Amino acid sequence: MKRKSIYFNYIFSLVVVLLFAVGCTKNKEYAIPTPKDVLQNNVIKRTLGPNIVGQKIEFAYAMAILPEKGKLVSAEVEASISGATGTFLENKSYYTDGGGVDVGIQVGSASVTTATKTKVTFTKDTSAATLRYYYVIPEEARGKTVSFTFSAKSSDGESVSYNVGPYTIAKMDMTRNITVSDGNLAYLSIADMAAYNATTAASSPDKIDLVYLYRNLTTSAFNHALVSPAADVAYLPGITLPTGVNRSTKIIKVFNLQDFNLAQLQYGIYIDDLDFLQIDFSTAPNYAINLKLDAGAWVETADGKYRAYIYMNAVNNTTKSATISMKRYTLK
Amino acid sequence: MLALFMVTLTWVACKKDYPVDEDGLLITTRTDCFVSNIELLGTDFVTVRTVAPVIDTTAQTIAVTVQFGTDLKNIYPQFTLATDAKLDPKVTGRVDFSDLANPKVYTVVSGNRKVRKAYKIFITVQPR
Repeated sequence: MKRKSIYFNYIFSLVVVLLFAVGCTKNKEYAIPTPKDVLQNNVIKRTLGPNIVGQKIEFAYAMAILPEKGKLVSAEVEASISGATGTFLENKSYYTDGGGVDVGIQVGSASVTTATKTKVTFTKDTSAATLRYYYVIPEEARGKTVSFTFSAKSSDGESVSYNVGPYTIAKMDMTRNITVSDGNLAYLSIADMAAYNATTAASSPDKIDLVYLYRNLTTSAFNHALVSPAADVAYLPGITLPTGVNRSTKIIKVFNLQDFNLAQLQYGIYIDDLDFLQIDFSTAPNYAINLKLDAGAWVETADGKYRAYIYMNAVNNTTKSATISMKRYTLK
Repeated sequence: MLALFMVTLTWVACKKDYPVDEDGLLITTRTDCFVSNIELLGTDFVTVRTVAPVIDTTAQTIAVTVQFGTDLKNIYPQFTLATDAKLDPKVTGRVDFSDLANPKVYTVVSGNRKVRKAYKIFITVQPR
């Protein structure tokens, strides 16, 4: 029994000693880090969410060298796939003022793009700059990956580079702010991502997937609706369909799915390619009525070729119209 | 001494003072067995009811009127039950209420798991 008690005392003492040792460890004094005396660079990607063809990917490329060693001569970005028209590297270096506004100061000549390379030559004596790079995603990058190499040169002959990516480019398409109106631009084509009037719809009826209508009924909440031409006539009151317009499109009504790209609001919600593949349309109806502002609908075309998400950006009960935006994924 | 203490502690921790059912839910002494409210949500998680439901606890029926154009094949029902009661079958997701001629039946099971009451849900679609 006595031996056990000695053993416990020993353990206890050991714990106390350890506790003191940990408690009394001296943190190292902070010292201002010494900057490296070579040309340095870094990149951050500023855009979030899926990379959609026709949209921009934005990067901020920072480069710096000690002033006494030299100044920046040039900055260049090379993309693995040439950017579409509108791709450029800013020739301004930005800082954020006290009010949170980004203020740009020109430090170089306008960027020159040659095939996959975009270059800015510095015209001001500067030893540190952050240039923004806007890559407009080209059609040929759809479904592929894109990588970027950022590089900078300084007057003392040094050069540095920084690789980012690969970034997957989404397969989907996007069209924003399509105006639909009851009785006029009421025929929506998912294939064309556009709204047509009855005359145009009659000329290509196989492309019409949905009919937009607005009804202010006293007996039920009908309001703004997206209805398949083949839906029960009860959902198409007062509508005479153009000849041949008869497709049955599956629709799942949703609310508050404010996709960042479509809604253009502050919400960080992004619909990506994968979302289109995971929706179960097996029991979906072919109409969606009482669609309000911020509502939306998942849609699958009758031939199973496309799936889309339609978002209601704005509705107007007086003019019986709505502004919609669409992301579309091609299944086959 | 320490070993004895540990054994006692284990025994106390594992002692079944509170019976639980097959779902791990507490079985209590309560015999209340009723539905106090029902909510029906569409695929957009917005209510499809037009007015408050009519619940008859004697006849064990629930009458709900839903909006014109409701997608009855994809409804999320939400039940409010008596304290400690549970529902059979369980609601695990979307439910197909489209067969209006054969109303869905949900059974409420009381807290003591001895009283069971089957409620029929009658759905009426509002006219256009």
